Amino acid sequence: MDIAVIGNSEFILGFRLAGIHKTYAAENDERLVEHITSVLQDNEVAILVLNSSDMEKVPRKLRVTLENSVKPTVIAIGGDVEGGLSMREKIKRSVGVDLWK
Amino acid sequence: MALRDIKPTRSELINLKRKIQLSERGYKILKMKRDGLILEFFKILANAKDSRGELLRKYERAAEMMALANTVEGAIGVKSAAFSVKEVPEVHLKSKNIMGVVVPQIDSNKVRKSVIDRGYGVLGTSTVIDETASAFEELVEAIIESAEIETTMKRLLDEIEKTKRRVNALEFKVIPELTEARDFIKMRLDEMEREELFRMKKIKSRNTA
Repeated sequence: MDIAVIGNSEFILGFRLAGIHKTYAAENDERLVEHITSVLQDNEVAILVLNSSDMEKVPRKLRVTLENSVKPTVIAIGGDVEGGLSMREKIKRSVGVDLWK
Repeated sequence: MALRDIKPTRSELINLKRKIQLSERGYKILKMKRDGLILEFFKILANAKDSRGELLRKYERAAEMMALANTVEGAIGVKSAAFSVKEVPEVHLKSKNIMGVVVPQIDSNKVRKSVIDRGYGVLGTSTVIDETASAFEELVEAIIESAEIETTMKRLLDEIEKTKRRVNALEFKVIPELTEARDFIKMRLDEMEREELFRMKKIKSRNTA
C-alpha cells in the first residue's frame, strides 16, 4: 500500500524526494477537498499526510471523516494544532484531566 | 418515565425487576470496559507524546534542508531530482481490535534508501539533495509511527468518552428511574392489598352484625 501527500507544491516536493509518488498539489481550497475525497476512495492508500494549516481549511464534516478514518489513516503535520491542541482538548474531555503536558 | 404512566401490576413489577437486573449488569460491564480502555490509553500516552515531538523536530529539519537545497540547487534542480526517484516506500496497513475499538497497525519497509537506489544521478546533484532526501525519509518513518499511535489514541479517547457517557446515563438516569418505578409499584400493590384486607374486614363485620 502507499502513502499519499496533499498540500501546496512546496510541501509535497520533499515527499517526492523520499519516493512517495502519490503527491497531490492543492493550491486552493476546492482542489484540496477534491483531492482528499479522491484519496479517501483510493483503496491503495494506507496513510494520508496533510499540512496542519490545510486541515483547518477542510469543511467540518470532512474533517470529522478524516479524524475517524482508519483506512487511510490521516495525519496532519507542520504545526502544533492537530497533535497538540486538539489532542489535549480530547484528553481533557474524555479523561477529565490534562495529561498532555 | 413518569410515575403516572406506570401500571401498578405484578407483571409490570416483574418486568421492571428484570430491566433493573439487566441495567445493573450492563453498567458493571461498561464500567469495566471504560477502565480497560483508560489503561490501554495510558499505555500509549507516553509514546504518543514522544512521537509527536519527534515528528515536529524531523519536519522542521526536513523543511530547513529543503530550503537549503532550493538555495543551492535551485527549484528546478530539486524538482528534477525529486521526480526521478523511483523506489516507493511500502506500507502495510492492518487493523487490530482493542476492546471493540478498531485501530490501525502499520508496518513499513524500503523507507530509507541508499544514494544509488534513489534513482537520481549521483554526479549531477550535490550532497545537499542527498541530505534533504535522507531528512524526508526520516520524516516519513516518523509519520508512519505517529500515524499509528495518534489514530489509536484518538479512537480510544472517542470510545472512552462514549463509554463514560453510557456509564453515567445508566448510573444517574436509567437505574434510579427504574428503581423509583419499582418502589412505586411495590408501594401501590401493598396499599391495594391493605385496602382489600380492610374491605374484607368491613364486609365480615357487617355480616356478623
